[in-house]
Amino acid sequence: MSAVAAKPAAGGAMNPTAMAVGVVLLLVILGICWRVSPGLGLMALIGMVVGGVLIGFGVHFVPVGGAPAAMGQAPGIATGVAMLAAGAGLAGLFGGAWAADQGLVVAVLTGAVGGGLMMAITCMMVNFIYVFGMGIPAASGKVLNDPITGDSQKEFKSQGTEGHGLPFVSFVGGVIGGILAGGGGTLIYLMILDVYKATLPTMMKATEAQIMPIAISAAGIFAIGIFLVNAVLTAYNITGTIEGPHDPKFKRWPRAIVASAVASALCGLAAILIVVM
Amino acid sequence: MESIVFGIGITALTGALATVAGAAEDTESNIGSQGDPNSQVQLAPQMGFLHRIFNKAVAGEPPAYGLWCALGAGLAWAFMAMQINAVLAIVLGCILAVFVQGVYATTAYLGRTASLKKFGQPVYVDILKSMTTVTMAHAFVAIFCTVTLCYLMNAALGHPFPLPLLGLLWGIALGAAGSAVGNPYYGKERQYQNQKFGAGVPISASGNIVRYAEAGERNSLDNGFFTAKLGGPASGVCFGLIVFLELWRTILFEKIGAGWGAIIVGVLMILVFTIIDRYIEVWARKTYGPYAEPVKEASS
Amino acid sequence: MTVKIEVIAGGIPHTKIMVAGIIASLVCLYLSYLNVVTNTEMFSFFGGLAVIVALIWGSNTIKVLCSYGIGTGVPSAGMIAFGSGVIAMLLATKFGVAAPIVALVLAAVVGLILGYLSNEVLNMKIPTMVQSLTELAVVGAFTLMGFAVLMTGGFTFAALTTGSVTILGLSLPSFQSTFIGGSLIAAAFMLGALAVQHPFNACLGPGWTQDRMLMLAAECGFLSMIVAAIMSFALVTAGSALISLVIALVGWAYTYMQYIEFSKRDAASWLDAKPIPDVEGQ
Repeated sequence: MSAVAAKPAAGGAMNPTAMAVGVVLLLVILGICWRVSPGLGLMALIGMVVGGVLIGFGVHFVPVGGAPAAMGQAPGIATGVAMLAAGAGLAGLFGGAWAADQGLVVAVLTGAVGGGLMMAITCMMVNFIYVFGMGIPAASGKVLNDPITGDSQKEFKSQGTEGHGLPFVSFVGGVIGGILAGGGGTLIYLMILDVYKATLPTMMKATEAQIMPIAISAAGIFAIGIFLVNAVLTAYNITGTIEGPHDPKFKRWPRAIVASAVASALCGLAAILIVVM
Repeated sequence: MESIVFGIGITALTGALATVAGAAEDTESNIGSQGDPNSQVQLAPQMGFLHRIFNKAVAGEPPAYGLWCALGAGLAWAFMAMQINAVLAIVLGCILAVFVQGVYATTAYLGRTASLKKFGQPVYVDILKSMTTVTMAHAFVAIFCTVTLCYLMNAALGHPFPLPLLGLLWGIALGAAGSAVGNPYYGKERQYQNQKFGAGVPISASGNIVRYAEAGERNSLDNGFFTAKLGGPASGVCFGLIVFLELWRTILFEKIGAGWGAIIVGVLMILVFTIIDRYIEVWARKTYGPYAEPVKEASS
Repeated sequence: MTVKIEVIAGGIPHTKIMVAGIIASLVCLYLSYLNVVTNTEMFSFFGGLAVIVALIWGSNTIKVLCSYGIGTGVPSAGMIAFGSGVIAMLLATKFGVAAPIVALVLAAVVGLILGYLSNEVLNMKIPTMVQSLTELAVVGAFTLMGFAVLMTGGFTFAALTTGSVTILGLSLPSFQSTFIGGSLIAAAFMLGALAVQHPFNACLGPGWTQDRMLMLAAECGFLSMIVAAIMSFALVTAGSALISLVIALVGWAYTYMQYIEFSKRDAASWLDAKPIPDVEGQ
C-alpha cells in the first residue's frame, strides 16, 4: 500500500525559476492595483502583502507534531499546523479588531500580543500535561542541545521515539509564531477595513456608521480567508510537521515568503477591486 | 468606573464559560476519538487489532468546532433577528448545531469503518447508538458555552464583530486549545495505557491500542471518565485562561496609555507564562531524571 | 504512522464529474434568477441545489488530490478551497446577472495561481495539484454563492448587503440584517469547508467506494441546506424558506438512508452488541 506517485526526494529544494516567476506575478498584481487605485488601494495592498508574509513566515515557528505527537512519539503540539496557527491568529485578530479605533500601530501590536499570549498559554499547558499528566519530560529529536538554554536533549528522549513535549526553543518558537500570525492577520483586517470605510459610503449611498457592519464583516471574512490560504500554503511548505525554529525544515522559509506574498497580493487585489471598480 | 466593574463582571463570567467549554470540548472529542489520536484508531485494524472504539473522523477539532460554534452562533443570530428572545435563540441555535454534529459523527464512523472491510473490522451498531448521544451531549455544553460567551462579548462588551464571526473565531480557538492540550493525554495515556508510564510510545507499538480494559472490551464511553480526570479540566483551564486574560487586559488597561497599557500587560503575561513553562521543564528534568546516561562526548 | 491511501480505479471518471458539476451548478444558480424575474423569493432553494452539486464535484476533486499523499491532512484542502473561493465569490457579486460565470473565471484564476505556487514555488510537484486547486477554488466560490442565494434570494452585491428589519410593524432598511452585515457568510463558509472535505475524509481507507462517497457528499449538502434554510427565515419570506427547508429535509432523509444502506453493503460485518471477533494470527 503506498501513495500513487512517489514524490521526488528534493522536498526541501528551492526552485529559482519558480521563485522568479512568483516575484514577477507579485509585481504584476501590484501594478494592476496601482493603475486601478493608486493611493489608498496600493497602500492597503502593500499592507496586506506584508501581513500575509508575516503570517506565512510566522507559522514556520509554530511547533507542530501531528499524529505522532499525540502518542508522545514526536515533539510539538498534536494539532494540524494550519488550524493551530488559525486559532492563534484569530485570537489575536479578536483583540486587534477591538483596538482598531486606537490607530494602526497599537491595533497591530495588540493583535500580535493576543496571538502570542494564546500560544504562550497553550504551549505552557501542553508541557503541563506532558510533565504532570504523563510523566514525560520535554526532549527534541533534531538537536543535541537546546539552542537557547543549552540543555542536553538526547538522554531525555524515550526509547523508540523522536522526542516529545515542547523543549524551550519550541515554546519560544510557538510564542513568536503566535505574535507574527496575530499581527499579520490584524494588519490584513485593518487594511481592508480602511479601504472599505473610505469607499463603501459613496458606493452604497449611506453614512459611514450605517455601513460599518458590512465593512467589518466583509473585512473580517476576507482576513480569515487570506489567513487560511497563507496557513495552508505554509503547511504544504513544511509538509505537515515541524519542531520549531531549530528544525532543519525551517530553512525552507524563503519559498513560503514568495508564495505568501503572491497569494496575499492576489486575494487582496480581489478585496480592493470590489470597492474601486 | 461602573463600566469597568460591569466589564470585569462579564469578563469573569466569560472566563468561567470558557473553562466549562474547554473541558466539555476535550471530553467530547475523546469520547468520539477525534483529531490526531484518531489516526491510531484507524491504524489498529490494519495491524490486526480490531476494536470497539468510535472512529469519529470529522476533520480535526479546530475546524469542526469552528463549524459547530459558527453554526450555533449563526442560527442564534437568525433567531434573534426574528425577534426571538436572546437566551431562547442561543439554546435553539445550539440544539440545531448539535444535531448537525451528531449526524456528522455517525457518517464518519460508518464511512471509516466500512472502508476497513479488508481487515475485517465490523461496524458495531450498538456503539453507534450509545456513543452518538453522549458526544452530542458534551458537544452541546461546549457549543452553548462558546456561543454564549460570544454573545456576551458582542452585546455586553461591545466587540465590533457580529455574532457568527465571533462564533467562528472562538470555535477555532477552542478546538485548537482543547486539541493541543487534550490530544496527547488521550493518545498516549489512554489509548496506550498498556505501555510503560513516563515514556513516549515506541514506534514499534503503533496500532496496538488498548482494546480489552477495566470491564471487558473497551469502548469510547470508558474514555469519558478518564478525560474528566485531568485532560478535560486542563483543556478547560487553558481555554479559560486564554479568554479571561485576553478580555481582562483589554477591559482594565485599554484606556491607560492610549492602548499601550494593554500591550505592555500582555507582554508581561507572556513573560510570566514563559517563566512558568521553564520552571515546569526544569522540574521535570530534575525530578524525573534522564532515561539513559548523558552523552559523554562534547556536543555541537 | 498515518493512513495509507490508495487510488482505486473504476467509478465515474473525474472529468465527467467535473463537467457535470460546473454545468449543473451554473444552471441551478441561474434558475434562482427566476426570483428576480417573478419578483418573489420562492426559487431560492435552487441555491441549495447548486451547493449540493458543487459539493459532490468537490469531494471527488479532493479524493483525486489527496490520493497522492500531500503530507498534510484532508481538511486543509477544504480550507484553502474556501479561503480562495470566498474572495472570488465576493468580487463576482459585483457583476450583476453575470455573477456565477464571473465567479467561475475569477476562482479559476485564483486557484490556478495558488496551484502554481504550491507545485513550483513550494516544490510539492504533485501531478494533479494545479488542476485540483483550480477546481477546488471554483467549488468554494459556487458553494458560497449557492448559500448566498439560498439565504437571501439573489447573488448580486446588493442582495447580500441590503436588508430590512421590522420594528413595531415598521420595516426599516438595515445593513446589519444581511448575509454579509450579519456575517452569516462566516457560518456558510464553515458549513461548506467541512462539507467538502468530509465525504473523502470519512470514507478514507482501502475499502473506499465512489458511490458511497458521492452519496455522503449529497447527504452533507442536504444537511447543510437544512440549517441554511433555517437561517434564511431571518432574511427571506417565511414561505420561500419553508420550501427550501422541506426540500432539504426530504433530500437529507433519502440520502442519509441510502448512505447507511451503502455502508451496510460495504462493511466487513454489521454487528449489534457483539464482542470483538477473533482474528487468526493475533
